[in-house]
Amino acid sequence: MGKHWYHCFLRENTREAPPRCPASLLNALLVGGVLLTLFAFAFSRLEYDFHWHGVWAYRSKFLQGLGMTLVISFFSLFVSFILGLLFALGQKSRILPLYFLSRYYVEIIRGTPLLVQILVFFYVIANAFHVHNRYVTGVMILSLFAGAYISEIIRAGIDSIGQTQWETGRSLGLTRFQLYRFIIFPQVFKRILPPLAGQLVSLIKDSSLLSIISVSEFTLNAQEVNAYTYSTLESYIPLALGYLVITYPISHWSKKLEKTFAYET
Amino acid sequence: MKKILFWIGLSGLFFSGCLSGEKDVLRVGMELAYPPFEMTDTNGTPAGISVDMAYELGEYLGRPVQISNISFDGLIPSLKTGKIDMIISSMTITEERSRSVTFSNPYSKAYLALLLNRDSPVESVEDLNKKGRVIAVKKGTTGHLYAREKLPSARINVFDKESACVLEVVQGKADAFIYDQMTIFTQWQKNIKTTRAVLEPFQDDFEYWGIAMRKGDPKLHGQVNAFLLEFKKSGGFERLAEKYLSKEKEIFESLGIPFFFSP
Amino acid sequence: MRLSIRQLTKYFEGKAVLDDISLELSDVHSLAVIGPSGGGKSTLLRIIAGLLVPETGKVAINGREIPVEEEYLRRYRMTIGMVFQSYNLFPHLTALENIVLPLQRVHHMGREEALSQSGRLLHRFGLSAHGHKKPALLSGGQKQRIAIARAVAIRPSFLLFDEPTSALDPEYTSEVLDVIEELREERKDLILVTHEMGFAKSVADHVLFLDEGKIVSSGTPSEIFENPAEKRLRVFLDKVLKY
Ligand SMILES: Nc1ncnc2c1ncn2[C@@H]1O[C@H](COP(=O)(O)OP(=O)(O)OP(=O)(O)O)[C@@H](O)[C@H]1O
Ligand SMILES: [Mg+2]
Repeated sequence: MGKHWYHCFLRENTREAPPRCPASLLNALLVGGVLLTLFAFAFSRLEYDFHWHGVWAYRSKFLQGLGMTLVISFFSLFVSFILGLLFALGQKSRILPLYFLSRYYVEIIRGTPLLVQILVFFYVIANAFHVHNRYVTGVMILSLFAGAYISEIIRAGIDSIGQTQWETGRSLGLTRFQLYRFIIFPQVFKRILPPLAGQLVSLIKDSSLLSIISVSEFTLNAQEVNAYTYSTLESYIPLALGYLVITYPISHWSKKLEKTFAYET
Repeated sequence: MKKILFWIGLSGLFFSGCLSGEKDVLRVGMELAYPPFEMTDTNGTPAGISVDMAYELGEYLGRPVQISNISFDGLIPSLKTGKIDMIISSMTITEERSRSVTFSNPYSKAYLALLLNRDSPVESVEDLNKKGRVIAVKKGTTGHLYAREKLPSARINVFDKESACVLEVVQGKADAFIYDQMTIFTQWQKNIKTTRAVLEPFQDDFEYWGIAMRKGDPKLHGQVNAFLLEFKKSGGFERLAEKYLSKEKEIFESLGIPFFFSP
Repeated sequence: MRLSIRQLTKYFEGKAVLDDISLELSDVHSLAVIGPSGGGKSTLLRIIAGLLVPETGKVAINGREIPVEEEYLRRYRMTIGMVFQSYNLFPHLTALENIVLPLQRVHHMGREEALSQSGRLLHRFGLSAHGHKKPALLSGGQKQRIAIARAVAIRPSFLLFDEPTSALDPEYTSEVLDVIEELREERKDLILVTHEMGFAKSVADHVLFLDEGKIVSSGTPSEIFENPAEKRLRVFLDKVLKY
């Protein structure tokens, strides 16, 4: 039985990424080529003179913005993960005030726009407590925002672990802390890795909203360059590429981790 | 069958709405967030001095006018990519902008002014050019460009919205907000307890407002300049000032400060 | 083992799952609990394991009462080996680490010692070749034997089994039962909930028949299986021994 021609577009195993072989390389290049052609066509239809030199003069501003976005994202990732963890445990806590605090937190943050949260947090709450540093406030509000989502992801992950795992752990005499530490979290972490990675990528992109309180991160700096040079696309195309450059490693890294954590193999 | 015909007819209407008369409609872009020049009335229809001007221009050219509400820093890109035919949005003529668009002859002068925090030690624009001073500006405005060029020692925080700049000054996070005289005046009146204003002009030269058009259309440029001349001669600007700015004009005159909408 | 249960009652959603149970056994080494589904066997076992706290009543083993306060309960659980029906093992740990974890973390044994003790147990149960595997790669029988090894590893004062073979394919049942039989021969005390009547008969020195939350019959295997006095027990045995 000979193979049909369309078999070079198919793969056997849909559970894993396709293997590195000429066929998948060909497909990857093909799709990439089609997308590029599409973009090239769209841009060729554009009546727009590109003036890259104007933007090039501001390259250090782009780099500073990129650096600031990286720094803000890094701290926010860290803090939001800790907040997410604490509030997930709060939601699972036997202590009712902790439970309600965690529920209110999640519902309020998830139910309101980040834009409003940033404005209210910076101009009302932080102001009332005499915190005027917009970078510190920015990291705090971003962490609170992402933390709510991460806490829901972690909580759902904890809920997805079967009752017998808890009972077995308890029957062995593990403390509650040890149960979480050695039994539940290692399994939860593997399960929530994909949504967690997605959330971290969102966090990096959401950090651009801090521009409204004049945190000079990547997006604000690109917008400023646009304002100085009136070169919109020349400012925003590097912006998009810059974000891609920082978010792609996260997706890549999470895929790798997923593989490491797969119990089956 | 009838249903299908109905939908075909409807979609036809929809598409024709997009395409019809593309040739002669005059598409004017402005940010409807700067009363009384560019704003919307209570029904949400565009209104204000620039809007009236646009309709007068359309009448002069014999072309129907379509107003597009576009954020200020999106105006020039929209013009450059052909989404609109001109910008009438209280836009100051600057050298940098002139590199990417062509301006008509100026139709109005303008000044920058300062909104200051009540407790800030700043008294004049010179005081701002020091280490440790913080200035709030709205992104892409002449205030932003002025601060960047003339006040390099100060820290400049850039915002999307005028309201955020005002809040920064009110809360003392910034010493000053640099913006046009009329806005500063209105905001100072609104926040009289927490702010002060410097309304006297401090720039070496006035700012001039012009109508921006794409480069390389001398015919339209000529028509627009001819219209402005004609409109000025027939007292059109006085009529508009009377209609929209009578109260402000009076207050400014009583304060002895030159009023900016004076062609 | 001396087992004493006094007026034990456990409710679930308003329904008495264990209904005022009392029992005194002065010297029992392997106790089998049988009965129809939903009769309360697992509930009783989980109370004895310190995983559930009853509404009323007391359970004492070898004269020591099972505590009710969580921290004391946890310490009590440390001294017991329990094997559930299935999904016993931690899927993210290798077979070996499944045994090592409680030794190291709960019983504070040094890692080296824990590893060598776990290795010896694996060897004893014929599982040396599988120690490095995650549970997903093991057969049902192998998994249950690992679970038993883990329960034995901590040198428990007694062992509890809740239907350890009922989730297994028949071909794996005997390898698990063999291990339990072996433990009994070593005079390890054990309590076993099972549907394997033949096994209960041969292994147990005492049998309880639990139905609708009550101990309907209690006696030696021959009393229970050869001369069932109670009607309900006879009906039950007829049903399970039919094929
Ligand atoms: N956590 C629980 N919440 C509510 N009801 C429960 C719970 N655990 C057990 N029950 C109920 O208690 C009754 C006895 O359950 P138990 O598991 O002790 O029975 P069993 O004799 O072990 O049955 P099986 O042979 O099916 O395992 C059943 O009706 C069951 O539905
Ligand atoms: Mg049961």
